[in-house]
Amino acid sequence: MTLPCGTRNYNYGEDMAIVRTRTHWGMLIGFLILLFTMPLYLSNYRLGVMNSIGITLIAAVGLNILVGYCGQLSIGHVGFIAVGAYTSAILTNRLGMPFPVGLIGAGLVAGFIGIIFGLPSIRVKGFYLAITTIAAQFIIIWVINHWGYTGGFNGITVPYASIGGLVFRSEGSQFYLIITITVLCVFFAKNITRTKIGRAFIAIRDNDLAAEVMGVNLLYYKLLAFFIGCFFAGIAGSLLAHYTGSLYGEQFSFTDSILYVGIIIIGGLGTSVGPIFGVVFIRLLQQFLTVAVVPWLGHTFPNFPAGFASGVAPMVFGLVLILFLILEPRGIAHRWALFKAAYRLWPFSY
Amino acid sequence: MAELLQFVITGISVGMVYSLIALGFVLIWKSSSVANLALGQIVLISSWFTYSMLVQVHLPVYIAFPVVILFALLLGWVIERFALRRLIGQPILSLIAVTLGIGYFIEGIITFIWPWSVDALPRLFPQSVIHIGPAVISQEYVWVIVICLLVFVLLNLFFRYHKMGIAMRATADDQMAVQACGIPVTRVFSVSWMFACVVAAIGGILISSIGGITHGLVDTGLKSFSVVILGGMDSFGGAILAGPIIGLAESLGGGYLTTANWGGIRDVVPFIIIIIVMVIKPYGLFGEKRIERI
Repeated sequence: MTLPCGTRNYNYGEDMAIVRTRTHWGMLIGFLILLFTMPLYLSNYRLGVMNSIGITLIAAVGLNILVGYCGQLSIGHVGFIAVGAYTSAILTNRLGMPFPVGLIGAGLVAGFIGIIFGLPSIRVKGFYLAITTIAAQFIIIWVINHWGYTGGFNGITVPYASIGGLVFRSEGSQFYLIITITVLCVFFAKNITRTKIGRAFIAIRDNDLAAEVMGVNLLYYKLLAFFIGCFFAGIAGSLLAHYTGSLYGEQFSFTDSILYVGIIIIGGLGTSVGPIFGVVFIRLLQQFLTVAVVPWLGHTFPNFPAGFASGVAPMVFGLVLILFLILEPRGIAHRWALFKAAYRLWPFSY
Repeated sequence: MAELLQFVITGISVGMVYSLIALGFVLIWKSSSVANLALGQIVLISSWFTYSMLVQVHLPVYIAFPVVILFALLLGWVIERFALRRLIGQPILSLIAVTLGIGYFIEGIITFIWPWSVDALPRLFPQSVIHIGPAVISQEYVWVIVICLLVFVLLNLFFRYHKMGIAMRATADDQMAVQACGIPVTRVFSVSWMFACVVAAIGGILISSIGGITHGLVDTGLKSFSVVILGGMDSFGGAILAGPIIGLAESLGGGYLTTANWGGIRDVVPFIIIIIVMVIKPYGLFGEKRIERI
């Protein structure tokens, strides 16, 4: 059902290929062309939305590897994004390193911090691990706020990203930087889940004891999952830092961590398209609410106390998350798979 | 010395509130194995509701308090009936995520109804200070300790003698056997959520009558998880004992380390304790160690 009618595998290479048919190639290339020509016809504001989607997507892809594939629930993902953001800021601003060093450094440092806070995962899981990651987020944000090197409550400014002599200053050029890295990250994540590592993650998610009995090294793979997940978070944080230009501890709230968990659940846990659906859905919903619904509410009910309409967004997100968990726990990705199957078999659905 | 005694008493009284809130968590965890991460938001919305009843509707305290209790009962019932009951038997990740969603939703409602986000609850307790040895302590803290102890005793009596309390203990022990005996397990779940919300509401009122209503109450709910972790997830006694320990650590750590240029350390002490407990003794002081089979 995952392949169109009449597509057969004649060798192992074909069996493993992601893109199989000519239509696949056409759609992929068409999509990439559409994506990379967006600055030509989208306004700066919409490009900004696309940039935030790209940054969120990188972090969500990392979280999906950690939660969706390896089954290690983390509710402190924004804390690791903050680690990446501040690492990149310190490397480029205080130490004067070039941007690529900051980007990779951010990923590595966030990954190692992730390993440290992931250590309890060897002994505990489920709710215990969730609480540990919540604690990690609060400790990280406290350190950021009270450590002089990070700028504390005054914040820290971050220079524009630049590679060689090329400075990414305008919204459009930043779009190219962010989207290129996003595409690479999604591709990398897709491939990582098809390797031995990915199969080990899935074995651990489904039953970690059974996996251990079968010879999967739990310590190594769980920490590796934390490292990869937090590495992506660090990359996203670095891009966020260079995109916004200044960092404060309050930018990285616990509510956003919950939002990230919501994103991958709504998209579909443990699927490669899930995070994409989830991020696009949530970010567009957020845009719709803040641009259309909130001003309309404030306009329509002027007698209500000021600022009441900003409560609409969390209400809707909470409701959407609850409804998805009750009605479609496998997320949008599952609906997409159903749609593809129905489309291929139409009109003879047997 | 006077300072130390002051820290100890405030620490114990705040810790008692933590254990009260943690008790609500343990109640739900024991009966239905659901980890309720919306606890902080439940605390916050109950405090705001109390504020509305006392300040906006001008009810006298003796009417407002029962109304708040009724509200908490209703809140617990609604959450259990419309969200958790539909997810019975789902993997733990869904159960945790749905409580996160509920918390998010409640936070939205709070912003929607009370958008100014900070306010003071009218003082419920006499304000005059009392002298214990060399220390001067606001009377409120003592009242908080007394009320918490009272609630502990009431809950204990309920679990020991009331039919529903016994049914809840039995459900915690073995769900299947209880169902076979004809005890309606869904109603037990419902009641445990209602009780948990009431306990959280009482904790919220106590703590916000001292410190005012801020968004920090959500963090208070999160901090009470450290009580749960330290005491053991499935132990009432553990929660009651661990609360004052966390409160003391927070108050002493905050009191002495803040002056040593560690500002705001008070707020992360419970989280540091969580990490330490996780590494050393993951199932807490009194928690039941799980033995897993494939």
